Amino acid sequence: MEYFTTELLTLLFAALRSATPVLAVVLGEAMTQRSGVINLGVEGQMLLGAMTGFAVASVTGDPWLGVIAACCAGIALSMVHAILVLGCGANQIASGVAVLILGGGLSAYYGTPFVGDKIDALGNLNHTFVSDIPLLGEFLGPITPTVLITLLAIPAISIFLFRTRTGLRWRSTGESQDITRNLGHNPTYYQLAAIAFGGLMSGFAGAALAVDYTANWVEGMTAGRGLVAVGLVIVARWNPWYALPAALLFGASEALNLKLQSWGVDISPYLLATLPYMIPLSVLMLSYRGLRASGGGMPAGLRVVFQSAR
Amino acid sequence: MKKVIRTLLASSILAISVQAAAETKVGFIYVGPKSDYGYNYAQDQGRLYMEEHMDDVETVYFENIPENADVQRVMERMVRSGVEVVFPTSYGYLDHALKVAEKYPDVHFAHSGGLKTSDNLMTYFAEIDQAMYLAGVAAGLTTETNQLGFIAAHPIPQVLRNINAFTRGAQSVNPEVTTSVIWTSSWSDPTKEAEAAEALISGGADVLTGHVDSPINYVQVAERRGVYSVGYHADASQFAPKGWLVGAIWNWGPMMVDIVNSAKDGSWKSEHLRGDLLTEAAMLSDFGAAVSEDDKQTVLDRQKAIMDEEFQVWAGPVIGQDGTVIVEEGDTMTLEETEKMDFLVQGVQGRLK
Repeated sequence: MEYFTTELLTLLFAALRSATPVLAVVLGEAMTQRSGVINLGVEGQMLLGAMTGFAVASVTGDPWLGVIAACCAGIALSMVHAILVLGCGANQIASGVAVLILGGGLSAYYGTPFVGDKIDALGNLNHTFVSDIPLLGEFLGPITPTVLITLLAIPAISIFLFRTRTGLRWRSTGESQDITRNLGHNPTYYQLAAIAFGGLMSGFAGAALAVDYTANWVEGMTAGRGLVAVGLVIVARWNPWYALPAALLFGASEALNLKLQSWGVDISPYLLATLPYMIPLSVLMLSYRGLRASGGGMPAGLRVVFQSAR
Repeated sequence: MKKVIRTLLASSILAISVQAAAETKVGFIYVGPKSDYGYNYAQDQGRLYMEEHMDDVETVYFENIPENADVQRVMERMVRSGVEVVFPTSYGYLDHALKVAEKYPDVHFAHSGGLKTSDNLMTYFAEIDQAMYLAGVAAGLTTETNQLGFIAAHPIPQVLRNINAFTRGAQSVNPEVTTSVIWTSSWSDPTKEAEAAEALISGGADVLTGHVDSPINYVQVAERRGVYSVGYHADASQFAPKGWLVGAIWNWGPMMVDIVNSAKDGSWKSEHLRGDLLTEAAMLSDFGAAVSEDDKQTVLDRQKAIMDEEFQVWAGPVIGQDGTVIVEEGDTMTLEETEKMDFLVQGVQGRLK
């Protein structure tokens, strides 16, 4: 029994670790889409954030400066999307793909000199009061700051979005720009802020990967997690609270794939490797039964994006 | 000489004054980024070594070229821009390289790791599994839990050779040892590698190694969790001052210089050129502080036995995962057999497919 509990907790916290970067992107992208803008470039923003964060941490020796720089890099790249979409009226899907590729290229080019550098990690909760908690202390101890920050972002975003006047206008922009306009506000400002926030969160997610979790920079290290996050926004129904189970689902399936292999379970590794995609996909299909009419909470403004892309 | 005459003829016929290039152009094609701190990085270090040690050579390279018809286009482009020796460094480039080689009989091709040749295409590789075997010896002597962890990308022969050699090395000094394998299905996915390392350690493994692009990720996790690590591809000892045992690393430079020289002076042979511990194309890195002097000596003695050809890594008996005898005692696997390896040995936990 104790063995079982330990293994289960190990898996849960492994899921949380794997889920954190994805969760941060889901939160950011959900906020962007809430304003009626979709940004497929988050993967590129993550990569640029990861590279910038790692480079700054390596040069200055301070991982926290790296995290801040990563957030700035994410915002900076998201502004390319903002200029194309809001400034030039470009197709959002095309612009997002452009940002994705740009981020991958820029990070690969400027990241080369930093490959193989060693940086200080952000530290963890070990040797604080939490490591003395019975049973859980062993698992809470290794938790790193980016995990905590991302978890804290959920209530913060939720309060902002659902309990403040600005949050209301943010949401109304996503439903109908005309409403915001009729209320005497410029919807473009909200969309600009929404894109920037998405940039901030994806840059932060990059730092969570490169500065905190692996303490390493590798070209293309996000390995598709940014795009997965865009998909998980739909699973999470554009709701910051649902973002946690959606991201955890992905993290848990990824952790489970590796865990099952280490247990020596007799299932083909090829099948196991599909888990992180099969499980969220199944949940999406099951949870959306009967939701087609409402679109599962999709902001009405996004409909226009998909129709214009057709 | 023939080339010079041909150049002179061509230039006089076309009445264009072509200044015969004094430099030999050498082209490299990598399947991933040259900055991966792993396989491609090691190949690129060979290129840099060549630039440094040969005065009359100019190198060009292309990164991130997939193993499909794209690589043919890249090779054709290289050849047309005057490249005389092409190094297609990825396993899957072989058939494409053979096609291009047939089209341009005057250009030399040196493919990394393949098992086919043509008149102007040779292959080169190094038996790094010898070094992995030795690293396994160090791991087998060090482990307290008798469980080793191996983070592997894809079940191709080169990876299987390393898993099996590492395990056999460990078993040779510690018959109790088992190796758990986790497949990441990707040459480079740092998050997955770190998580796989965590899973192996919580499963009881106390020495980690792997065959993915970069050893940095699992080596750092091992260090953080206070277990030992064995590197692969490139020396990652600086990431694990406490837990680093030793690593199996490449050293392509001298071999590549020889290949280019042979193309230049006409001594080119279309053969399977294989380096090993003796030629230092594959070698052991420096030992970490975690390896005791006695253990170090045991490993070095075994290394000497391999170099003196008194001992061979793939000498029988080789026993498969399910207990079947694959190589009888007294037999030894041939180069061809080891480079087509498709099994895991007894003591390895994990599925092939």
